Amino acid sequence: MNLLLSCREATRLSSEAMDRPLTWSERMALRFHLVLCALCRRYARQLGFLREALHRHENDAVLSAPARARIEQAIREAT
Amino acid sequence: MAGETQLNPERWVAEHGDILFRYALARVRNATVAEDLVQETFVGALKAREGFRGQSSERSWLVGILKHKLIDHIRRSSREQLQDPAEPDTAFEDDGHWRMAAGVAPKDWGDDAAAAFERREFWETLQRCLDKLPDRHARAFVLREMDDLPGEEVCKVLDVTPTNLWVLLHRARTQLRRCLEMNWFAK
Repeated sequence: MNLLLSCREATRLSSEAMDRPLTWSERMALRFHLVLCALCRRYARQLGFLREALHRHENDAVLSAPARARIEQAIREAT
Repeated sequence: MAGETQLNPERWVAEHGDILFRYALARVRNATVAEDLVQETFVGALKAREGFRGQSSERSWLVGILKHKLIDHIRRSSREQLQDPAEPDTAFEDDGHWRMAAGVAPKDWGDDAAAAFERREFWETLQRCLDKLPDRHARAFVLREMDDLPGEEVCKVLDVTPTNLWVLLHRARTQLRRCLEMNWFAK
C-alpha cells in the first residue's frame, strides 16, 4: 500500500475503518493523511457523527386505523 | 419485565403495534410492507406461543420474531434487485483531491454539531436523507448502523461480498453526509 493516500482513498479508508480492522499499513497511511489534511479530518469526524445520529434515530410513525383493524382481524382469525 | 409467562394476544396490537411498526418501517421504508411484517409477526407469534417461556418480556419476544421476519424479507427482496450502474466518483479530481470548485468538500459543521440531536427538524431531515438512498445502499446501511450487525452478518443477509458491502456503505455514507450538510449544517 502506498503510504501517500489521495483524499479519495482516505475517505474510502475512513469509511472502511468503521466496518473492519485496518491493516497496520492502512492505519499508518490514513493517520498520516489525516494529520496533513483538514478536509479529510473533518470528513472522518462527520462519519462518526452520522453513526451517532443513526444510533439515536427513532421515528414516531404509528399504524393507520385501517392497518390496525386489518391486523386485529388477522389475529382473531388465527387464534 | 421478565417473568410473565402469560401472553395477551388480544392486547398485542394496542400495546405493541406501533412500536413494531416503527421498528419495521425504519428498516423497510415502506408502510405497506411494514404493516404486513407486523401482521406476520403477530400471526407467527400466535402459532409459536407454546414456545414462550417468559424469559423475556412479551415485547422483546415479539420484536425478536419481527427481526427474523425482517431479515427474511430483506434477503428475499435483495435477491430480486437489479444491479445499480457504477457511479462515478464526482467529489474528487482525477488526482484524488477534493474537488473544491463544486462545493462538495466537507464543510465545517461547527463545534456543537450534536446540538442538532435536540431538534425535531433535524431528525426529519435525517429521515428524508435516508429515504433518498437507493434501496441497496439503504438496506446495507440500516442493517449495519441501526442494528449494529457485524459486517459478515450483513453480507450474509444481503448475499454480497465484504468488498461489495464496503462500497455500498461508503457510498451510503458519502451521500448521507452530503445530504445532511446541504440540508441542515450548511443552510
